[in-house]
Amino acid sequence: MAADAPDYSRVPRWSSRAIPEARGDIRTEPDGRRVAVRYPGWSTTDYGKFRTYAYDDWRPEPTVSRAIAPAGITGDPTKGRALFLNRQKGPCTGCHLVPGDDVWPAGSVGPDLSTIGDRKLPDAYLYQQLWDPRVVFPLTVMPPWGLQGIFTPEELVHLVAYLQTLHGPATPEKDPNRNPFTRARPVGFGDNLDPTNNPGVVRAEDAEALWKERGPAGKACADCHAGGAATAMRGVATKYPRHLPAWGRVMAIEDFLSVHAPPTTGRTLAVESADNVSLTMLVKMASNGLPVAVDTSSPEARAALARGRVSFGRRVGERNHACADCHAVDQGANKFLGGRFLADASGGLTRHFPTWRTSVNDAWDLRRRFQWCMTPLGMNMLAADAVEYAELELYLAQFDNGKPMSVPGIRH
Amino acid sequence: MSDIGKVRLRLPSTIKAGDVVQVRCLIIHPMERIERDKAGKVIDKKYNYITKVVVSYLGKTVSTFDTTQSVSENPYFAFTLKATDPGMVTVTFLDTLGGKYEGTAQIAFG
Repeated sequence: MAADAPDYSRVPRWSSRAIPEARGDIRTEPDGRRVAVRYPGWSTTDYGKFRTYAYDDWRPEPTVSRAIAPAGITGDPTKGRALFLNRQKGPCTGCHLVPGDDVWPAGSVGPDLSTIGDRKLPDAYLYQQLWDPRVVFPLTVMPPWGLQGIFTPEELVHLVAYLQTLHGPATPEKDPNRNPFTRARPVGFGDNLDPTNNPGVVRAEDAEALWKERGPAGKACADCHAGGAATAMRGVATKYPRHLPAWGRVMAIEDFLSVHAPPTTGRTLAVESADNVSLTMLVKMASNGLPVAVDTSSPEARAALARGRVSFGRRVGERNHACADCHAVDQGANKFLGGRFLADASGGLTRHFPTWRTSVNDAWDLRRRFQWCMTPLGMNMLAADAVEYAELELYLAQFDNGKPMSVPGIRH
Repeated sequence: MSDIGKVRLRLPSTIKAGDVVQVRCLIIHPMERIERDKAGKVIDKKYNYITKVVVSYLGKTVSTFDTTQSVSENPYFAFTLKATDPGMVTVTFLDTLGGKYEGTAQIAFG
């Protein structure tokens, strides 16, 4: 089936029903500084200058730019190496391997640069590659570091000087895990449905109480959906995200709870609130083992899918990255980004969400995962229940069609 | 929180006679932390935490564990057991408020 062209003329407007941390709001401080409202521990930088996933953000990608190194600066390889490893900058090691036991963890998305100096490439060429590699490689996944102002011209000169010092032969590895090309792949955390193994299951069972508890309007979920969540909700979640004509948009379970709970139970169940995530898990667990069956055939679903597919490949943010850079097989997928093994979107990434994250000791729904992915790439996140995210989720979920649901998952 | 005292017990899916098996158990329990006032003095009250875990197998107590500091909320315990005969493994948790919570699992050879 040929892919549909995206049509942005009939996307509904949506006012967010998410918790304050998840709305993508920007606040102006008394001193005029603009800060982003995000979760504690997340960056509060306002990246308003850079384009986002919003459908009404028509700003173009940064224009491809040629540059020559500033005259009068001598590159210092020591400074260059420090910049290469600096986690506040790239870090370049997220994608490229270079020698040194302190290079940990290096990634394998980009080429191994351990012996790049042997190629005798001109300094001007390397400088251009760092400034904006799209001049030579139009489809590269590497950000235009200089053009976007992440490295200054002087810093780029130091980086070039460092790269020119890297000569072979490569020293044998002491630890095969240092090298992302020989590193063992992560094995996961075992059975995600075993409560003695996944704290997410215990968390989801807490929602049984929410299911039965009457809200301010005097009704509980259990009053209308008889027979307990496991029976009443059996198979429901396999069809989500889906286009709901009543709301004129694609919704996942999380979005639907935020509009369905207030008129029935009187509860808010804001998107990304703890109660919303717990209830979503409870509803989804009722479909565990059943194959995902997301509908992409209705005209509305097809239109949403087309927009979601375009979002997946849309270049956004300070770093000019797209989802596809890391999660498409011919690009970053199945390679290491630093120590993180990048998952392949076409293998299906959504059927275990909301998932328990061992690194934060909390259950995250897919939207929070989206927002976490997007913030470090230098763009302002959208509201958790934005139509853009729902349609991107639809695009990802259809890769899971036919595969058994398994909620909650467990991941690092 | 789920109901206090819900115990989950897990055994390997296949066990042969004489195997040393890992028994894993999880109990839902708040394991209340000791609170201090602003001056740093411990607030005097009866705290609710698990103090003792008793394992019995084939009707006999085979082991008892006393908990110390740093046992988390909803604690998870794992231990090994030699499966000599088919029968019941029972793990009992005792807390400071007199609560007694039990989980059982059947060892069957196959």
